[in-house]
Amino acid sequence: MNGLLSWIDARLPVVRAWDTHMGKYYAPKNFNFWYFFGVLSILVLVNQLLTGIFLTMHYEPSVEGAFASVEYIMRDVPYGWLLRYMHSTGASAFFVVVYLHMFRGLMYGSYKAPRELVWIFGMLIYLVLMAEAFMGYVLPWGQMSYWGAQVIVNLFGAIPVIGEDLVQWIRGDYLISGATLSRFFALHVVAMPIVLLGLVVMHILALHEVGSNNPDGIDIKKNKDENGIPKDGVPFHPFYTVHDLVGITVFLFVFCAIIFFAPEMGGYFLEFANFEVANGLKTPEHIAPVWYFTPFYAILRAVTIDIGPLNSKFLGFVAMGAAIAILFVLPWLDRSPVRSMRYKGWFSRVALIAFAAVFVILGYLGVKESTPGRTILSQVCSVLYFAYFLGMPFWTSREKCQPVPERVQQKGLSKALVFGGLALFAVLVVVPIKAVAAGGAACGSVPCEHFHADFDDKASLQRGAQTFVNYCMGCHSIQYSRFGRVADDLEIPRDVMREQLIFGDEKIGDLMVSSMDPVKSKAWFGAMPPDLSLVSRSRNPDWLLTYFLTFYKDESRPTGVNNKVFANVGMPHALLELQGLQECAPGPKYDDHGHVIRNAVGELGEIDPCGSLVVGNIKGTMSPSEYRAAMVDLVNFIEYVGEPIADKRQTIGIYVLLFLMLLFVCVWFLNREYWRDIH
Amino acid sequence: MSDDGANLVRRRVLTAVTSAVGAVGAVGVAVPFVGSWNPSERAKAAGAPVEINISRIEPGQMVTFEWRGKPIYVVRRTQKVLDDLAKMEPLLRDPSSEKSVQPDYVDPKFRSQKDEFLVLLGLCTHLGCAPGYQPKVGSVQISGGEWLGGFFCKCHGSKFDLAGRVLQGVPAPINLEVPPHKYLSDSVILVGVDQEA
Ligand code: HEC
Repeated sequence: MNGLLSWIDARLPVVRAWDTHMGKYYAPKNFNFWYFFGVLSILVLVNQLLTGIFLTMHYEPSVEGAFASVEYIMRDVPYGWLLRYMHSTGASAFFVVVYLHMFRGLMYGSYKAPRELVWIFGMLIYLVLMAEAFMGYVLPWGQMSYWGAQVIVNLFGAIPVIGEDLVQWIRGDYLISGATLSRFFALHVVAMPIVLLGLVVMHILALHEVGSNNPDGIDIKKNKDENGIPKDGVPFHPFYTVHDLVGITVFLFVFCAIIFFAPEMGGYFLEFANFEVANGLKTPEHIAPVWYFTPFYAILRAVTIDIGPLNSKFLGFVAMGAAIAILFVLPWLDRSPVRSMRYKGWFSRVALIAFAAVFVILGYLGVKESTPGRTILSQVCSVLYFAYFLGMPFWTSREKCQPVPERVQQKGLSKALVFGGLALFAVLVVVPIKAVAAGGAACGSVPCEHFHADFDDKASLQRGAQTFVNYCMGCHSIQYSRFGRVADDLEIPRDVMREQLIFGDEKIGDLMVSSMDPVKSKAWFGAMPPDLSLVSRSRNPDWLLTYFLTFYKDESRPTGVNNKVFANVGMPHALLELQGLQECAPGPKYDDHGHVIRNAVGELGEIDPCGSLVVGNIKGTMSPSEYRAAMVDLVNFIEYVGEPIADKRQTIGIYVLLFLMLLFVCVWFLNREYWRDIH
Repeated sequence: MSDDGANLVRRRVLTAVTSAVGAVGAVGVAVPFVGSWNPSERAKAAGAPVEINISRIEPGQMVTFEWRGKPIYVVRRTQKVLDDLAKMEPLLRDPSSEKSVQPDYVDPKFRSQKDEFLVLLGLCTHLGCAPGYQPKVGSVQISGGEWLGGFFCKCHGSKFDLAGRVLQGVPAPINLEVPPHKYLSDSVILVGVDQEA
């Protein structure tokens, strides 16, 4: 073994490389919590590369195939759902750790000389990461992919003179199309990752050349022992490898909790509208980029004025670009004699907290639809954002700093100060956001019905499937589901499935496609009956239940019916036979949140002539409560179809989290053993 | 940094335990990656058993069907062909299919469930070309005897008799494979599913 090693080492400097970067790389011994995020971003990078490679094996970069191939991965490829959730959650996790990593840099002055290049490579990584994430988000070819790409690519149109040509060149077409999709695919899976890896290597080489900073901002190389080893340093391996394992395990716990229990993360990691296939003729009601872009998106939108010949579109683009560009020159904006916030003056500390709050508020605003109040807030925050950087040279060169000790300290600022800072941050974030809060409820102007999915109730799912096949599949497909899978998951014997739920000559392994001709149906109903495989994810189950319960008679409509949550719906009341036809009756008026409007003394305000629905002349075969129960079963089934793996995913998740707890115990003791004599 | 014995032993034990648990985790992580290479539901649906109707095949005729994208040969053998099979045996490599691949419910010599219908996977056991059907007596040159009908693979010259059994002196090592198949009725075979006992 040793012979082989020295044979290789004579030809390739593996031992030297190991010593330079691990075994004899002396890192300050006072790293705290904030120093986990560097290694975590490498971990996420590896996760993205591995899962990305495997997703590429099943994904199809074409307009016709992209969306379907993602659902194919989610449903048909063994463990495809897990690979995809690892990748989609990884994308957001990447930005979480990178933002925290950058904040650490701001806090401890890690960008200051001699680490300017480390910072600049880091910024380049961040920039490439944004491009990578943006192009990756286009690939599933959902509504948000399409319209997000539309908006972002059109940004370049703001550049004077060449703008329009540039946009066309980027798209390779007159609209976002297959040409755009395939070039983004190539860049996302090949070009960008290569650049990213190269930059990561440069980032680390540059860092290891000058050595790591630390929470005190002290140069540990100034204090060396007789062997030339920094007195305040410990070899990275094994001390920081075991130390990082603790952080990695905790991170994995959170990461897996999201993958297995909340992969959409409430619509922030996977946006709901992206469960609908891209449609160039229909803009979603509200377009918001994924959360990690929203601070800059908010700055873009905040610019509403023209200056001379420059219009607001161009200025918004410039402001957004400048917001990112200004970070590059940070090392030269900070004139402070000290690095760390521990020894900087009061003004720097408060300014940093305010800056972080501004960034978070901008992020929040970028997600939300704009209102006049929010626009003003985003303008204030944008100004503060730039003020932080532009003002930095002035206050850092004037404020009084504390003396920096010779050797690193184990203790940072007092608990009171840290918690005071956190509290200040919380207040600065919450108060402005509260002031501009507003928004509609999920079901618009009627109160939502509440629904809880229960995938263990197989009988309910079976009844739902029966209703669906009998009453809905004439028009709607669930084209990403297979009969056989539904039969197995719902515990319907396959021969029963074949006899009772498959009407045509489809085979059990086939996809559940309706026999309705989409072109004809468009002519009949004025709208195509959409595929319902994912409707529970693009809408939500509460909305669906409300929708099925609130069809009512409306002679003015071609179908003779209208709907409370889906006004002027093109779908006839398919369940008329069961429910009968409800009719309008006077009732209270509701506001945008679905609350009854009351006057100052709490009495009912206006009366809406169609504020409530009553049983009409045409009666159904079911009583209202039977009908409601049938609809609960139906929604349960549709919810199941949206993500057939959901049940199993959570079961696997429990085992994964238990395993990580066990791993945590191991690494905790291992770390404690190594570090017991260091502090 | 003290290096007393107890400390080192504890370090080693803890490192070993952590590595072992970590290795279990690594295997767990590998599962979805490795698993994703297995046939997907789509592939399984496409590779599902196929029903083939054999009632329209004339005596002496061969018809090719498709199962999992591979050719399935079905030959309706005449009584004369069946009688002649024994004559070929001295020229064969594995006349009673000891080394060859077939379900245990087919006869090792006739290589079929019902003598009349021969069901074969139409891929040469040498390198996977599709052998041609050569039913005519004497239509293929062989040494040491007369060709009584069979399959001839043009790629590398492998020869098989009308039970798919390989002749001596050709590159194919074993007889043509018999796929799993099941009679649903006298005229319908389901290929891809084994006949129950
Ligand atoms: C006669 C054909 C027809 C039948 C039967 C039918 N639908 Fe529809 N459905 C439509 C059409 C057309 C639309 C599109 C309405 C529009 O966009 O205005 C629609 C829309 C919907 C939507 C809204 C989708 C969205 O997000 O916009 C849902 C949910 C829905 N149908 C569920 C069902 C269910 C459940 C059944 C069975 C009980 C059913 N439909 C039966 C034709 C039909």
